[in-house]
Amino acid sequence: MKFIFEQPPVVRNLTLLLLAALFLLPTVVTSPTLLQIFILIIFYAYLTSSWNFVGGFAGVLPLGHAAFVGIGAYTSTLLYLTWGISPWIGMLVGGVLSMLVGVIIGLPTLKLRGAYFALATIAVGEGLRVLVENVENFGPFNVRGPKGLLINLVPDAPFSAFQFQSKVPYYYIILVMLLVVLYLTQRMMNSKIGYYLAAGGEEPEAAEALGIKVSRYKLIAMAISCFLTALGGTFYAQMFLYFYPKSIMGLELSYEIAFIALIGGRGTILGPVVGALLLRPVSELTRIYLSSTLPGLHLVIFGLVLIVVMRYQPKGLIAPLRQLFENRIIPRLSRRSARSGAVLPSNND
Amino acid sequence: MLGFIESLLNGILMGSIYGLTAVGLTLIFGVMKVINFAHGSILMVGMYAAYWVVTKTGMNPYLALLVVVPFLFCFGYLLQRFVIKPIFDAEKDVREPITVIIVTTGIWYVLDNLALILFGAEYRVAKTSVTGKMFEFMEMYFLVPKLIGAGITLLCGVYLYWFLKHSRTGKAIRATSLDREAATLMGIKQSQIYNIAFGLGAACCGVAACVLIPFYYVYPTVGVPFDIKAFVIVVLGGLGSIPGAILGGIIIGIIETVGAQFMAATWTELLIYAVFLVVLFVKPSGLFGLRQDF
Repeated sequence: MKFIFEQPPVVRNLTLLLLAALFLLPTVVTSPTLLQIFILIIFYAYLTSSWNFVGGFAGVLPLGHAAFVGIGAYTSTLLYLTWGISPWIGMLVGGVLSMLVGVIIGLPTLKLRGAYFALATIAVGEGLRVLVENVENFGPFNVRGPKGLLINLVPDAPFSAFQFQSKVPYYYIILVMLLVVLYLTQRMMNSKIGYYLAAGGEEPEAAEALGIKVSRYKLIAMAISCFLTALGGTFYAQMFLYFYPKSIMGLELSYEIAFIALIGGRGTILGPVVGALLLRPVSELTRIYLSSTLPGLHLVIFGLVLIVVMRYQPKGLIAPLRQLFENRIIPRLSRRSARSGAVLPSNND
Repeated sequence: MLGFIESLLNGILMGSIYGLTAVGLTLIFGVMKVINFAHGSILMVGMYAAYWVVTKTGMNPYLALLVVVPFLFCFGYLLQRFVIKPIFDAEKDVREPITVIIVTTGIWYVLDNLALILFGAEYRVAKTSVTGKMFEFMEMYFLVPKLIGAGITLLCGVYLYWFLKHSRTGKAIRATSLDREAATLMGIKQSQIYNIAFGLGAACCGVAACVLIPFYYVYPTVGVPFDIKAFVIVVLGGLGSIPGAILGGIIIGIIETVGAQFMAATWTELLIYAVFLVVLFVKPSGLFGLRQDF
């Protein structure tokens, strides 16, 4: 958390205020539907931030991340349903498994140019979905093909069962998960790997010439990304207690993750959060109110927003927001706090 | 044995149509280095166009080519000119334009879901004079529209190849795909070439749409399976290679139809992805691809 305290006081105070607000939110928002929307926003921000490790920093475009969400969800749930292993443990097993799959895919494909990588990830994602849809039993595990898995409700569920009567615990779990992944993102950006990846993403040949093994660092980023994404999958499974291959491994989810990142701003810490904050409510609301009369409208809006944002803000919406924040809001707030006798923030531009 | 040959030949017939959609994709990639994720949606637009032309006017589906193909050429041309070009210009110095790829995905979402809103989710079938007609040859049966379709697509492929090799515009397209800067220095208007290439790519979808319409359903997401197959095919054949796309299409068609003889149709889908991944791992440049292309 050191990086928060190294910021100018205004930024630091705003961040702490925002964090406090996020943690107190469930005490104000009591409607489960509304809280669910918040949970989903945070969940998508989490998935997108996990995607960001490889999609944002490694300069490639993974379009099959739903596969890793699926690996996470299926692993923990199958372990739980078959052997009664706590989903908390299954979550980590799923993460490791997903990491292995990610590395196996990444090993040959991350050496290729972006277009090939994008196509390869689509093929892996879709291939895995088709595989799961066609398998009824996998060893001792009953995968149930396209019917999906249903997690039975445990009466007076202990914490180890990872299921809760109220939405509030889910909210806190995913919030903490998001904060952790944002923290990791920040750490990674300012680490050796981060710098190497930035160099490799922009000028792979030049970076290689300097002795940086770009594809090795891309592979590390891929491994982290796949691990984190799978944890999200377990969360999804435990939150809804029911999922099927199309819902959790489909191309639509993979694209949605990439879209959120691109609209928000990939390769930035808060870009995925901004993207999820903007797009999730749109898709939730249009799904709730318009899906019966105009199915598909939310996806039209999704696509149009994407085209317009890419046209006018190709680096995502985080760029103009940051400018607004740095040029307008911070100076104004600083002036106010200066007038009220607070310490003047150091201008470190 | 006869059944095997029958399915093999049927695979070649269907595969040639896959090949043609992949030719469009590979042409666009070859020139602009952009994977057009909206390619399947353009095919879908073409199929609806062909469907309406055929059912409203009662026109022969192969005569409808004369209406649908120019329409799709214009559609692709305008899409490139007014939606993709501004974004492409912003990152034209980037060797791998990712933003443009994403925008074509956005176009895919918009087109498919607009079709869902406008035309509904139902499957439509166009009853034409050739629909359901069978051709018998040595106790093997083939759908007549598939035979005609394969013939037309192969002709188109050959014509396109000739066009790129020998016509002035074709040479300009090839020059641009080899070296953008050098081509520009030779006085080739790069943006114009991009528009034409995109239009031609869409026109390929128009041909495929017209030959599909007598024996295939139309629905809003009809492009998606074709799209994913086209991706697989172009990687199989080598991104940017037209003979590779046709051959790759035929290979995929054969895998699909012959595979269906031995396993459930959903498993053949998996087989296609498996082949794709094997090629990607073993020979990423594809069967006909150039090494520097990836």
